[in-house]
Amino acid sequence: MPKTNNVVIVAEQLQGDLQQITLELIGAARFLSEKLGTGVSCFLLGHEITPLAERLIHYGADEVIVIDDPQLREYATLTYRRAVIGILENLGTPPPIVLMGSTTIGRDLAPRIASYLETGLTADCTELDIGDYEHIGKADPAKTGTFKNILYAIRPSFGESLKARILGPWKNPQMATARIGVMQAIPINTSRKGAVHKLSVHFKQEDFRLRVLKTVRDVSATVNLTGAKVIVSGGFGLGGPEGFEAVKDLASAFKNSAVGASRRAVDSGWIGYAHQVGQTGKTVRPDIYIALGISGAIQHRVGMANSKVIIAVNKDADAPIFKFAHYGIVGDLYQVVPLLKKALIKITNKDMISHRIKGTVLFK
Amino acid sequence: MEGVALLKIIVFIKQVPDTSSKAGVNPDGTINRAQARRMLNPFDRYAIQKAIEIKRSVGAEVTCVTMGPPPAVEVLIETFEHGADYGILLTDKRLAASDTLATAYALHKVVHYLGDSDIILTGLQTTDGDTAQVGPQIAERLGLPQITYCEQLSITGRTLRARRVVEGGHQEVEVNLPVLITVANSATPLDYKRFADVAAVKEFMRHPEERDKRIKNVSLDTIGADPSRTGLVGSPTVVGKTWKLGEIGGSCVIFKGESIEREVEELIERLHTNGKGIEEFINA
Repeated sequence: MPKTNNVVIVAEQLQGDLQQITLELIGAARFLSEKLGTGVSCFLLGHEITPLAERLIHYGADEVIVIDDPQLREYATLTYRRAVIGILENLGTPPPIVLMGSTTIGRDLAPRIASYLETGLTADCTELDIGDYEHIGKADPAKTGTFKNILYAIRPSFGESLKARILGPWKNPQMATARIGVMQAIPINTSRKGAVHKLSVHFKQEDFRLRVLKTVRDVSATVNLTGAKVIVSGGFGLGGPEGFEAVKDLASAFKNSAVGASRRAVDSGWIGYAHQVGQTGKTVRPDIYIALGISGAIQHRVGMANSKVIIAVNKDADAPIFKFAHYGIVGDLYQVVPLLKKALIKITNKDMISHRIKGTVLFK
Repeated sequence: MEGVALLKIIVFIKQVPDTSSKAGVNPDGTINRAQARRMLNPFDRYAIQKAIEIKRSVGAEVTCVTMGPPPAVEVLIETFEHGADYGILLTDKRLAASDTLATAYALHKVVHYLGDSDIILTGLQTTDGDTAQVGPQIAERLGLPQITYCEQLSITGRTLRARRVVEGGHQEVEVNLPVLITVANSATPLDYKRFADVAAVKEFMRHPEERDKRIKNVSLDTIGADPSRTGLVGSPTVVGKTWKLGEIGGSCVIFKGESIEREVEELIERLHTNGKGIEEFINA
């Protein structure tokens, strides 16, 4: 029998590929479950995906509840909704916590489940923790009480430069979605063992009102912002769409790099939304983040402030980006970028020379 | 269009503080809501645009609905300039501090109050709450299918086809009306035209009897909503604590050389010798 007091995460797979967010969520769920003294359960939905159950265990799940059904091959709101509700109702007692990713799937599904269960849901969390809470309600005296070991769902309120701790201690499951690239996955351990439970789902006719005609994975449109080691981003200071040629050119000097953009550049139609970093785009934490012509408004900052090294180039010495970048050059990016690229190429040449010397193989 | 019933479209919109304006924004970035300038949630423009596109292509009656204090009527008036037909302002002190679940409860009651609708549109999310939850939560209460992150749509009879964004690609979906749709900000580039005669909108707003034909103020009692399921009392979540994000860092090394060339060289030297070394990231 599946456990009822575990921290639950709803796994995400796209055409049989486990999504990075799922591994990150397992990491977060492990942290929470250790504080609660319970374990981690994953709900895994799809078709011909049973082999993924073992991988979820290798990444830290204690048990996996699988529904393998041809109707779940493609993600669709109503069929997945039915499956998740089915598992939760099968558990009998609601689990303490249910987590999903802030992805197009998680943000589609989680509010449906929360609304069905009439329970609280906190969106886009950047930190999750366990703690106590005392509610003294003047306006809602019936809710007054002291609550132990509840979910702290912490999220920034971007528009207001605040970070808020959201609590829903009155009802389980306490639900939250977490942003991609924020929680830490734990390293894979292929000797980890866990339980796999298979369940089936009983669909209703109304679950098929929306038909998925096709799911297209558009590799060319995919921008690997979350996986890149170096991101070169352009903002409104580029002055126009052609400015992204300079951004791409600089990015091409790096291995495993990607092109990012600020919301204003995307809203101006200079580059696709898939490149957007920040509040309404992606959260990234590359080793090197180069911001070109980006002022560094809070909306952008929250998406990239955890990058290891931030380099900013901006004409405006008072731009907020210089308050949190590590290195800055105040100047015209169109002057700086070609020089920067030239200097980078020079390093590789120098390195090749020094390696040759170290290796005592000298080519003349 | 004779003999064919017009599609009924409801668009949920919200008035939010304008954080790009300096008014009402404290130096630390926090908002003084009483002083802040107000604006239509930018994401809602995409939903209004989609509604008006449908109205112009297959014919529809567009009703925009907003929940908020009395000044929120401003965003309804704005939608008239773009071609919306009617506006509903749900305003009630007992709605204060509603979380997304309580908000969706109240808004689904407005849908019942308005009678049948064919398409419900919302923006992807708001810039103040930032949750993207209310749309799907309304759909759940109404038992409707939903299409979130919708980029494109077309309607033939009672069948709606749409393209929605998913990670690393998109989905093509088809549904029979009714449906709830949240419109992605990656939708067709915003062409937020004022189709209606702005002067005419201003004119009818001056005549209370004309204005009342287009805008209706409703309370929880009007829409038959249970006040114990709204506001602080009806919300399953509460904000326990907030912190200011404030300014971070302040230790930026700004290179000031005699020339840009020298500044770039200094930057590279710093990156070259520090820590891991930038050379590991460069294409050979």
